Amino acid sequence: MPVEVIMPKVDMDMASGKVATWHVLPGEYVEKGTPLFDIETDKAAMEVEAEASGFLHHPAAEGVDIPIGQPVAWLYQEGEELGEPPVRTALADADDKPSPQPVSETGSEPVCADETDEILPQQFGASDKVRATPLARSIAQDAALELTEIAGTGPRGRIQAIDVRGQVEARLRHTSAVQFQPESGPLNISRSRDGAGMPVVLIHGFGSDASSWKPLEAYLQGRPVIRIELPGHGKSPKLRIDSFTELSSAIRRAFDMLDIERAHLVGHSLGGALALSLADTRSKSIASLTLIAPGGLGPEVNGPALEGISKSTRAESLGPWLKVLVSDEKLITDGYVKAAMAPRKDPALRAAQARLCDTLFPDGVQPFDLKAALDRIDVPARIIWGKQDAIIPWRHALRAPGNIALHLFDGVGHMPQFEVPSEVGKILRQVYDGAS
Amino acid sequence: MSAEKSPELRELSYAEAIREAMDIALGSDPRVILMGEDIGVYGGAFQVTGDLVHKYGTDRVMDTPISELGGAGVAVGAALTGLRPIFEFQFSDFAALAMEQIVNQAAKVRFMLGGAVSVPLVMRFPAGSGTGAAAQHSQSIEAWLGHVPGLKVVQPSTPEDAKGMLLAALDDPDPVMIFEHKILYKMKGHVPEGRYTTPIGKAAVRREGKDVSIVATSLMVHKALSAADQLASEGIDCDVIDLRTVRPMDRETVLASVRKTGRLICVYEGVKTLGVGAEVSAMVAESDAFDFLDAPIVRLGGSESPIPYNPELEKAVVPQVPDILEAARNIAKGQI
Repeated sequence: MPVEVIMPKVDMDMASGKVATWHVLPGEYVEKGTPLFDIETDKAAMEVEAEASGFLHHPAAEGVDIPIGQPVAWLYQEGEELGEPPVRTALADADDKPSPQPVSETGSEPVCADETDEILPQQFGASDKVRATPLARSIAQDAALELTEIAGTGPRGRIQAIDVRGQVEARLRHTSAVQFQPESGPLNISRSRDGAGMPVVLIHGFGSDASSWKPLEAYLQGRPVIRIELPGHGKSPKLRIDSFTELSSAIRRAFDMLDIERAHLVGHSLGGALALSLADTRSKSIASLTLIAPGGLGPEVNGPALEGISKSTRAESLGPWLKVLVSDEKLITDGYVKAAMAPRKDPALRAAQARLCDTLFPDGVQPFDLKAALDRIDVPARIIWGKQDAIIPWRHALRAPGNIALHLFDGVGHMPQFEVPSEVGKILRQVYDGAS
Repeated sequence: MSAEKSPELRELSYAEAIREAMDIALGSDPRVILMGEDIGVYGGAFQVTGDLVHKYGTDRVMDTPISELGGAGVAVGAALTGLRPIFEFQFSDFAALAMEQIVNQAAKVRFMLGGAVSVPLVMRFPAGSGTGAAAQHSQSIEAWLGHVPGLKVVQPSTPEDAKGMLLAALDDPDPVMIFEHKILYKMKGHVPEGRYTTPIGKAAVRREGKDVSIVATSLMVHKALSAADQLASEGIDCDVIDLRTVRPMDRETVLASVRKTGRLICVYEGVKTLGVGAEVSAMVAESDAFDFLDAPIVRLGGSESPIPYNPELEKAVVPQVPDILEAARNIAKGQI
């Protein structure tokens, strides 16, 4: 039987890792102990050695996130028939069986098939006694994941919340990530290829781009999603904008060109102010309005953070500002900062955003007040805010009239859609399923 | 934010706080009497009663003969006839001598007479180890009494609560058993002036955290807090709950914490098996909070041993800060 090569857990908080580089080509023979691949996690890169000798087959693609404990390749023995990659299921009741470690480091004997059989799925997969914590079970159930497909990293192979969350994230990132295609118009607009029902239009915040909606998109599945990128952000042109009104008009023009009758509208931060302004002038086209930590409801805004983000030229300077955006700094991993920095490497984008920052938030103030627009809103509207928001004070939400629902999350910062996407998704689904 | 002026931060010891509560009660309610061995001119085995006998006289601060069963019987009778006795045991261990009166009389009379009477009795039990008093003077037997419907059992852990819970106990129409850890008697802390009560049946969240819930009682609350400080520097953020009342237990506070953290450690000085932490664990396991557990529940309790006289062994048989540290690290890292 072929021997699995699994994604190892190399640090405490790791839920998944990537094969950065394979040192061995498919079909090539490796000796136990020779370097097999480089692994890259949020925090570290390191070399992983072959735990057995054999011919490498079915290697996982480089750069793709793989939950720990999942196979990244198989090692076949001479003469073993090469079929489809074996399917691996979770190690259950592993403690009843001999140790799954193939051989000790000091063993000089060649690995024989009998010794390695023990880690193969057939031995355990059929058992319905999956070891999992109650929390892991509830998360898996909510996410419609089969526990048998998850490898547990706890004692005796117990599946813990971190294992299921890793799997949920991996699924969000890959198997069922929403696919987008560009729309024509004055701004960069991407529209999901599938989905049925009334579309959801998303407007991101200052310094961000359409990709920031990714965590939330997974919870909007089934609905078409349309993401508008602000001028000077993401792939939108770097239009010259001299006031909030001009920016608002640019968004309205882009919205008017969309081939839709009505849509649910969601805006975050500056995007929230723009969504509100759009809903104010296009109320017939808007089925519902959701404002996440919106701008425009009070003068206060964290000027230094906005300026810092718009001017950051490298990950080292961007990281600390990104941490201000959230309540739990652990969410801002090195990998996250790197990914956020990638589009900011373009000096023209930085210049456009720095200028926009100065235009929209002179002296670190929000000069545009949309309270009157909020009072006029006659579509179902709600405001979602994190109580640890360090960019815009959540108390601005208290200016909303009584017909607007407030959802205040404790332990959440400026980005509820990133910090608690499932909660935000739940709220949106309630609104949308009600309105259909 | 309330704009009230901050109360004066007056500090008293735990023993002084109890004495102040008794002083307030004696001064304001003629039905209140104190009973116990050596609580008169001697001031009590741990000097908690102090000089109250000189202020209120021997009719109201009564030395009882060296018979716990007799003294407790008189106290139950006094309560039945309308007084509000506070009965002090020299050591909680001696409750064993008075079990008939506590368990079969005080706890049951109200039920057996169809609610026609009640027993508004308060009993105070100096409890716990750490004083080198060995096997018969160091136990933590709150779970024994916690097992009896009809009794309320509390374990205040701070001077403020010691005063507030004693006054709340006096307001209660039914028997309330107060376990006071002997090591806490000298602990100082803020105690508000005048009369106030601390609710019986309500736990206190002493520290908020999101990673691990530590539910502790009495002296263990302080050990848990000290462990939590150290754990915070390691990135493990503990919710520390002071249970305060063993019966009736504050289910909601405990469950809310477990729903938040998904990990539970119970720390109590009584024998681990069939103890307070066993009840807390079972309560969580039977509740909806079960679905939020991401690790097995951990209990840290007293060993299966009488409390030894040797000071090192005495420490070894009850949970200490390093035990809590180890348990919390393991549970937080998913290694249990």
